[in-house]
Amino acid sequence: QSTIRWRLQTYAGASLGAQVAKPAIDMFNAIAGDEMQIDLFYADQLVPTEELFQAMQRGTIDAVQSDDDSMMSPTEVTVFGGYFPFASRYSLDVPALFNDWGLNEIWDEEYSRVGVKHISAGAWDPCHFITTSEIRSLDDLQGKRVFTFPTAGRFLSQFGVVPVTVPWEDVEIAMQTREIDGVAWCGITEAYEVGWADICDYFLTNNISGAWIGHFFANMDRWNELPEHLQKLMATCFEQSHYYRQHWYWAGEARLRTEGDKLELTSIPDEEWARVEAAAREFWQEVADESETKAKVVQIFRDYNAAMDKAGRPYRYS
Amino acid sequence: MPYEMIAALMFGSMLMMMLTGQRMFGVIGFVAVVSAIFLWGDRGGHDLAFAQTIKLMNWFPLLTLPMFIFMGYVLSESRLADDLYRMFHVWFGRVPGGLAIGTIMLMVLISAMNGLSVAGMAIGATIALPELLKRAYDKRMVTGVIQAGASLGILVPPSVVMVLYAMIARQPVGQLWLAGILPGLMLASLFMTYIWLRCRFNPALGPAISEDDLAQVSRGEKYRLLLAGLLPLGIFAVMMVPFVMGYTRLVESSVIGALAALAASIAKGRMTWAVLEVCTKRTLAISCMFLWIILAALAFGAVFDGLRAVDFVRALFMENLGLGRWEILILMQLSFIIMGTFLDDTAMLVIVAPLYVPIVRMLEFDLIWYGVLYTITCQIAYMTPPFGYNLFLMRAMAPKDVTLMDIYRSIIPFVGVMILGLALVMIFPQIALWLPDLVFNR
Amino acid sequence: MPGVLITYVHWVEALNHRVGRIIMWTLFALMGVLLWGAIARGFFHPQIWTDEMAQFILMGYFMLGGAYALQMGSAVRMDLLYTRWSDRTRAAVDAVTIFTLLIYLGVLLWGGIESTQFALEYNERRRGLWRPYMAPIKIIMCIGIVLMLLQCTAFLIRDVARLRGIEIKERAT
Ligand code: NA
Ligand code: NA
Repeated sequence: QSTIRWRLQTYAGASLGAQVAKPAIDMFNAIAGDEMQIDLFYADQLVPTEELFQAMQRGTIDAVQSDDDSMMSPTEVTVFGGYFPFASRYSLDVPALFNDWGLNEIWDEEYSRVGVKHISAGAWDPCHFITTSEIRSLDDLQGKRVFTFPTAGRFLSQFGVVPVTVPWEDVEIAMQTREIDGVAWCGITEAYEVGWADICDYFLTNNISGAWIGHFFANMDRWNELPEHLQKLMATCFEQSHYYRQHWYWAGEARLRTEGDKLELTSIPDEEWARVEAAAREFWQEVADESETKAKVVQIFRDYNAAMDKAGRPYRYS
Repeated sequence: MPYEMIAALMFGSMLMMMLTGQRMFGVIGFVAVVSAIFLWGDRGGHDLAFAQTIKLMNWFPLLTLPMFIFMGYVLSESRLADDLYRMFHVWFGRVPGGLAIGTIMLMVLISAMNGLSVAGMAIGATIALPELLKRAYDKRMVTGVIQAGASLGILVPPSVVMVLYAMIARQPVGQLWLAGILPGLMLASLFMTYIWLRCRFNPALGPAISEDDLAQVSRGEKYRLLLAGLLPLGIFAVMMVPFVMGYTRLVESSVIGALAALAASIAKGRMTWAVLEVCTKRTLAISCMFLWIILAALAFGAVFDGLRAVDFVRALFMENLGLGRWEILILMQLSFIIMGTFLDDTAMLVIVAPLYVPIVRMLEFDLIWYGVLYTITCQIAYMTPPFGYNLFLMRAMAPKDVTLMDIYRSIIPFVGVMILGLALVMIFPQIALWLPDLVFNR
Repeated sequence: MPGVLITYVHWVEALNHRVGRIIMWTLFALMGVLLWGAIARGFFHPQIWTDEMAQFILMGYFMLGGAYALQMGSAVRMDLLYTRWSDRTRAAVDAVTIFTLLIYLGVLLWGGIESTQFALEYNERRRGLWRPYMAPIKIIMCIGIVLMLLQCTAFLIRDVARLRGIEIKERAT
């Protein structure tokens, strides 16, 4: 019996991937042993991130770790992957929404339709601006060229932000060559981890979303070929990856804000930032009007956030 | 078959097939797609090759490539450098070997205005070489002077080779370019010192110009010629200053540089429709050559990645051979030079760099610094037989009485000087890193 | 040599020559787009389309111009042995090794067609704010690859003719 070999490509580059993907893959490989091994590849190594979905659908790559938005998956839920503005406040919101509020079922249906197995969703870091010039008011956003997720870019452009697309691995270079002024991409942990904090000077404490939504996917046929115990093992290891990120980011965000010395923290006043939150509600409606599935997801977001508001502390303090 | 075996087989069969003289991009691409289909054909490995086009498209600094190639052609085809050469002729003619020294200076200025060595070779062979031979300079020295000088084109910014290295090593092109300036000037000084010393001890190698010749040039003319030197500095400045100040991005600067060269040639009345057409046509030819070979190499690299070949090379160096980091680096540079004798820079870049760069990164050497070492090694490869661009160009452009053996012999001392330069940059990394550290506060 | 093959070679070479002669001037379109991006950002308002447009132009430039560049003999060969061979030996070796190009380009086209089908089926767009459709540039790339393939078959026919002692005339251009 020969070893089953899979190739998984993550959307994350090597330095970040070492934290967010490698531990889980190493764990899987150690347990599965001779039965199965997954080779991990980082951003753009085998195929560029834009082609990830196609490559997985065709089976050139067996599995993928990415958000829907980055890999441009042709589904109704793509717009919600990554950072859907103000969809979540804490990273625990994501597993709650997927496991308890019905998002898993919607994602499963959408991806099954295009030949892809949605294994599971997990939360990553909040979305902040990390830039070379400071942001203290909404006016400072005018003309800022930032690397960001497609949906976040679409939303932010109404405030004068210019979203720029470069391969993830080249963000640092693009900052140095002044192709971009910074990122609206991640929390402070990632900024330190991948070295962007060395080039940028400012961190905006206001965030566009409390947690990134990312997933593990697999080619449907490859997945179905696996014996059940390997499917279970893989799903478990990926859950472990989501769990690891929960505390790694939660601890890191706070520690680096308080102890980090590479980035100066700035804020946009709350009353001004309220305009962005109001714009997000309009944006939600705009998206909901696009299709029935999108309307369903937006409604879940609305219901969930309403429930959290009603629950009060510790879910909401304001 | 174990993955290491497949990787070795891929590499070996590629080199073998290259020996047939078939176009290199075809050979590289062929080995890549056949391996991909053989390895992963049941799951659609065939799409890896095309997926690389998107990778190529995403690499924004690649847009500088046709710009710098165009710039070089404008420079050589419109004979913008004629005045420059006269300037060095008049000002340095009296020094032993002065014309050869002037040629090196000319090459430094030309290097600052184009990204390859082709322009330098063309100008050197058409303007400098006939003049040097007419003045009874030793033919075994002067072809080497031109080849060595022209090779600075890829070390002194802007540099196409560095743009491509930056793509592979994922390093900022701007920093790499700044890192190339001082080593480029150092190499130029070493070349000049070498020429001066040789001609001093053996004046027959480079006789000084007679006073009669020089007397024909009036003082006013002498100073007017000095102005010719402002042109390349001006083009370099309009290109680099807005970039370093942060007004333009790298790619935009390359457009400004190309247009500045074009404007200068129009202003000097040297740009005709025919010249423009030739420049545009050759830019397409050379750009296509580069881009197709990179596209094929990206596919090759993706399959190599899929095989985890880098892990294997790493294990070989570190675990099996048990070498330290400097030993590995020196070994890599030596193998680079040896491979460079029979491969050209593009081939080295696309085949060897993807294999070596991850190792350099793992050894925790600075990748900007290594980019400079790499570029100097490419310069050596340009000139060393049997395969080298400058060697071919010299063979094609030199007059009949300069034999192939003359050309081969003439490069030996200059290769020696370059190896010395390589060693100096290795021992004193600050030669390369001081400037980018200063400008970018790294 | 069947006349139809000679006609084919001339037809292919003329086509690629014409396409290449047009495409080579898009270099200036590339300059224009990038320059406008810089000017608009500095003096008016940043443009969302210039960067991606420039990237599309570069892809079209080298894909559609590739066959003409091949005609000009610009592709690098390792000429360690090649330069020492007679014309006949070169033709014989090339006639065999040209299949490396044909196979590589064929597989490239295969992937290109699949990718284009995907782009058309799912209305694929490029990431970013401008979000142009990807199908047009993918179709252009596929056409470029086809032109390269045609040029390689023309090379093959020329080499086979040369081995039979026939020199197919260069078409007057
Ligand atoms: Na240069
Ligand atoms: Na060589």
